[in-house]
Amino acid sequence: MTAPVELAAVSRWYGNVVAVNEISFELRAGVTGLLGPNGAGKSTLLHLIAGFLAPSAGTVTVDGHPAFGDPEVYRRIGLVPEREAVYPFLTGREFVEANARLQGVADPVGATARAIEQVDLSDVQDRRVGTYSKGMRQRAKVAAALVHDPSILLLDEPFNGMDPRQRLHTMELLRSLGENGRTILFSSHILEEVERVAGRILVIVAGRLAASGDFRSIRRLMTDRPHTFTLRSSNDRGLASALLDEPAVSGVTLDDGVLVVRAADFGTFSRAVSGRARRAGISLYELLPTDESLESVFSYLVRG
Amino acid sequence: MNLVIARITLRQLLSRRRTLLLLLLGGIVLVVAFVRRISGDTSGGTSDTRFTADLLSTLGIATLMPLVALIFGTGAMGAELEEGTAVYILAKPVSRLSVAFTKLSVAIVCSILLTSVPILLAGLLSGGPDGPALAVGFAVAAAVGSAVYCAIFMALSLVTGRAFVFGLAYVLVWESFLAGLFAGTRTLSVREQTLAFAAALAKPPADVFKADLPLGTAVVVAVVVAALALAITVRRMARIEIAGEVT
Repeated sequence: MTAPVELAAVSRWYGNVVAVNEISFELRAGVTGLLGPNGAGKSTLLHLIAGFLAPSAGTVTVDGHPAFGDPEVYRRIGLVPEREAVYPFLTGREFVEANARLQGVADPVGATARAIEQVDLSDVQDRRVGTYSKGMRQRAKVAAALVHDPSILLLDEPFNGMDPRQRLHTMELLRSLGENGRTILFSSHILEEVERVAGRILVIVAGRLAASGDFRSIRRLMTDRPHTFTLRSSNDRGLASALLDEPAVSGVTLDDGVLVVRAADFGTFSRAVSGRARRAGISLYELLPTDESLESVFSYLVRG
Repeated sequence: MNLVIARITLRQLLSRRRTLLLLLLGGIVLVVAFVRRISGDTSGGTSDTRFTADLLSTLGIATLMPLVALIFGTGAMGAELEEGTAVYILAKPVSRLSVAFTKLSVAIVCSILLTSVPILLAGLLSGGPDGPALAVGFAVAAAVGSAVYCAIFMALSLVTGRAFVFGLAYVLVWESFLAGLFAGTRTLSVREQTLAFAAALAKPPADVFKADLPLGTAVVVAVVVAALALAITVRRMARIEIAGEVT
């Protein structure tokens, strides 16, 4: 059975810059999170699937049809772009209704009311979009993407600018749409957002697909990667010697009086380090992870 | 023609501050004609007709028409692509040809309203024995010229992100400067073509107004240029890509 969205060895480059590099995956019903640092190529990937960009190599298909150059694919796709721009002179309701009419929805007024209700925008639907906060604009964009009840929903950083309540509401909406059989792909550079909504995850770094699959297994991969710590103690040299005996430690260096420990297993090392120090009669003053940024996590996944 | 896109484009074009400036510019043409009328400096002779022809050709055709068409022609599609709202129109099961045709039609209608109407009214106000004929002739010619300009400027907006600058350079450098220096450059001037149409339609006496470009040449070049601009628009619309933010 054909997957709703299929990418086969897709690359996209701009001159000498490779934005997306030989990416292949399939999307099926449910919520998939597209996770990656800024500049990783998430938007380019979403725009390739949305038919706004032609792949430089490989194929992108939506329900078996090429995504680029066929406006009919938009009957099945709802798109929430990252750019904030929305017609400022239209009210929220007019904006969503215009989208419904352009989609050829049988009952545009009814569909508009339902979509606005879904994103909890009823109170301000008759205000001009130009007067909306960023979060309201995001919700108006989500309503416009949902108004024709698409089977595929593509959202580029949809939670940007939303307050915590709106964020939870929209997350719940996406989860329920995914459970009801919609194929949903949303991008984010925030791990916690993806964790809360997506059952499946695609990690993209520097245009490459670094990891894909079930969220829990990717999360474990991220947690279980080698970690580097700097330590400060009453006897750094003695602690270095004691830690070399610890199986979870894969390397110890003592440069310029700074003790740096490389641990193969985050959990085991965290549990063992204080015991090792105590048994050696050393006081541990400080234990700092040095590579906890999301970028370093992504870099590890790429190398892996 | 897609009515939803037409309505959005119309509101988009008319809600800009630039449109107010264009209304002001059209108003200036009317004010000049009105001042001439009430100043009592009207003998009802050839000098009135000559003044009307000068007013309509210089302020109307040479100034108002290209500026209005430049703003509407480049704004109809180009501004949407630049601002990012084009996504909402292009991510729909509507053919790109229909989007382009609708947007161009709205730009042309807006341009005609803000160009031909002031020219018509100014011609009627300004006076002279051939005033009404000049008013109608210049207004109709301005409508045709506006359409050609809009087609060119819309194509330009799909080719470059700096369509307004290039369009302005064409109007100011090519049409205003080079066309005055070299006769050959007038052939590719929409302004000169429009003046040739106006002369053919209004049929003013030769001592009142005379176009520099022969009518036959004006018609052929205008048709070829407009067709070329439309072909570029259709081709670019079919292949248009939206990259989005780099994230």
